[in-house]
Amino acid sequence: MLRLQPYVQSIAEWTDERLSLRRLMAYARAKQVPHHRHTFWYYWGGTSLFLFLVQAVTGVLLLVYYRPGPEAYDSVRHITNEVQFGWLMRSIHAWSATLLLAAVLVHMFSVFFMKAYRRPREFGWWTGLLLLGVGMVFGFSGYLLPMDELALCATRVGLSLPEIVPGVSKLLTVVVRGGTDVGVATVQRFFVLHAVILPAVFLPLVAAHLFLVQKHGNALPPSEEAKPEAERRTVPFVPHFMMRDMAAWVVVFTVLSMLAALHPWKLGPQADPLAAAPPGIHPEWYFMSQFAALKLIGMVLPGTLGEVVGLGLFGLGMLVWGLVPLLDPEGAPLSRGRWMTRFGVAAVGGLTLLTLLGYWLA
Amino acid sequence: MNYPVWDVPILGSSLVIAIVAIMHVFISHFAVGGGFFLPLMERAALRRGRRDWLAVLRSHSKFFLVVTGVFGTVTGVGIWFAIGLGSSPATSTLIHYWVFGWGMEWCVFVVELATIAAYYYLWDRVSDATHVKLGWLYAVSSWLTLLIINGILTFMLTPTDAWVEAAGKPEATFLFWHAFFNPTYFPSLVIRTLICGSMAAVWAFVTVARLDSAQHGDLKRELAAWTRQWLLPAFILLPLAVVWYVLEVPGAQREILFRGVATAAQGQFTVATRMVMITMLASMATVVTAFLFTDRRNAPDFSLHGALAVALLAFIAFGTSEAAREMLRKPYVIGGYMYSNGVRVSDVEQYNQRGYLTSSFLAAGASPAERGELMFQGQCLSCHTLDGYRPVRRLLAARNREAIDNLLKVLHEHKPDSPYRAYMPPLVGTDEEIAALRDYLVGLNP
Repeated sequence: MLRLQPYVQSIAEWTDERLSLRRLMAYARAKQVPHHRHTFWYYWGGTSLFLFLVQAVTGVLLLVYYRPGPEAYDSVRHITNEVQFGWLMRSIHAWSATLLLAAVLVHMFSVFFMKAYRRPREFGWWTGLLLLGVGMVFGFSGYLLPMDELALCATRVGLSLPEIVPGVSKLLTVVVRGGTDVGVATVQRFFVLHAVILPAVFLPLVAAHLFLVQKHGNALPPSEEAKPEAERRTVPFVPHFMMRDMAAWVVVFTVLSMLAALHPWKLGPQADPLAAAPPGIHPEWYFMSQFAALKLIGMVLPGTLGEVVGLGLFGLGMLVWGLVPLLDPEGAPLSRGRWMTRFGVAAVGGLTLLTLLGYWLA
Repeated sequence: MNYPVWDVPILGSSLVIAIVAIMHVFISHFAVGGGFFLPLMERAALRRGRRDWLAVLRSHSKFFLVVTGVFGTVTGVGIWFAIGLGSSPATSTLIHYWVFGWGMEWCVFVVELATIAAYYYLWDRVSDATHVKLGWLYAVSSWLTLLIINGILTFMLTPTDAWVEAAGKPEATFLFWHAFFNPTYFPSLVIRTLICGSMAAVWAFVTVARLDSAQHGDLKRELAAWTRQWLLPAFILLPLAVVWYVLEVPGAQREILFRGVATAAQGQFTVATRMVMITMLASMATVVTAFLFTDRRNAPDFSLHGALAVALLAFIAFGTSEAAREMLRKPYVIGGYMYSNGVRVSDVEQYNQRGYLTSSFLAAGASPAERGELMFQGQCLSCHTLDGYRPVRRLLAARNREAIDNLLKVLHEHKPDSPYRAYMPPLVGTDEEIAALRDYLVGLNP
């Protein structure tokens, strides 16, 4: 009988000598994940990563048939109606984008409430915020690519907002839109942004974010940190937590497949630049709170002034959110920590309320 | 059109029925599978001399009693309420032809309720052997309810040609058992029994997960391992049972599924096919997730979140399989006998000649516009809504008067090559009634 073990052994040694896989495995085995009653929130970072991988795989498959420019709409129609399982890939791509942003938001707020932005994890918070920002630009740029009626109108509205900022109008016309109106040149620009520039920015950011997570490990919520070290529990990342992470990925994949198969992403009529915008047009849910806030402010301060105030408030909100690690650092008075938590609760409640209000107004 | 109309905005009566029914089957199959789980686990615990297992089982039996005895019963009544309002003619048929079936079901149901109450309240008050026997009595009576209800459910898909021919005549009474043990009865019974076993595990995970990890880590590991075995029979045997079931489904209905499979790659498949695809994926996901969460290393920390995630996947699997089964019945609510909008196949000609609204008390003194709306309520509302689920206003938005006229003509003629024939009943009524319906539909998008 052929004995395979010596061959396997020698291949393993040959590989290990060059790649140091054993050290990598030893490092993975040594990694521990805290285990407590808030462990549930640790899954959301991994879930976001999984959904990003789904985005990457389906995005590459869509790239095979998608043609930016004048043929954009026809190519998406071809993908949806003729390419084998093209409808499914497109639907999974669109639905996973939505779920990805939802998972990132849950991840961000769970990090916030666990106070995982405190020393030494400040850069984890900042890279995470940048990833969310880039993710939203991914969503906005991807929305235009099919060039159907809704895509054109939503992009027109979205790009018209920053125009009120002095000096931005010309920049938008020349660089982003490629003209005075959204058109073929815009699709080509958005395609480059969506498929080349954003991945080039996003991937190093993901790598940095993951590196920081590995370097500092999972943060403990304040209630766990208050416990003596002997009472804290951890589980090995490999294989314990990894198996649970995989289970969470299976759950997410099933829900994603259900959404994609039972509610395939629609392709509307081809965009007509001369046609009026269809009634009830509104942005995707992740821009809905801003949309509602602008509408509300517009009721009090109509015209450009309202938009300027609205954008100013968004800018201020984002700045405060970004400065959270500095405003509530490690060792800050308890009262400040409590105020910060209240601020987080108000942010979650406000965003939810504004999003619902946005749908109602639309 | 002899019953008042139940107009549920946005959801539609059909979706209300589906939501209530799916919640009910998710619990009722637990009631049956869990019925076997209780005495079998009790027996295993007694044989191993594990009183700690019995303590967990006692807690589980309380959870079981509350979930099945309260939520199961309420949703069961909810189904009657929903189908009575949403699908009155079909409910009338089910009551008239199956009155003795329902009577039998009621008798065993009473035994079922009494024995599960006794099982829970007599812990430590009767001998172990008697307690296990009580558990078996509950298990058998709950399986008998499935045995009976399965006959009526499968009858609705495959009532047999003999019954359809005799329906409405006294002879139909003598075909009770013939229609009961219809072609899909046995495969469906096997499928449902296997699912019952899985449901027993899915719900038992909730009890196991609630055990304190720090105090009962090893116990959790043992019970999780014992419980997850209950997923395997269904995982292994269900594909075979489903093939058997599909082979017994009439060709026209099977076509809905297979036409969908053949065109799945182009995205032109039927909703039924998509539901089946999700059923297969979610079934596998349920088992994989359960085994990952309850692996011997993770079982002591198996949390309620994990148990609920497994339950969610099982709910998706079960919900989509039930939805697919319902869709296979289209365009009928009772195969070959009654269309999904309550029109009997045998009444089509009569309605076309004498009018659909002629004998309806609702149409007395109605204006032409009201008659159009009544036609819509009588023949469309059982599956569609105006602006929510399967929204007629949106579906017809791109059609002008002539296009709507042509569509109604195609639906009325119901020719063998009609693309709608597989899913939609024929539109019945006189030319004047159909014109009134057309005017009503045109008015939806002025």
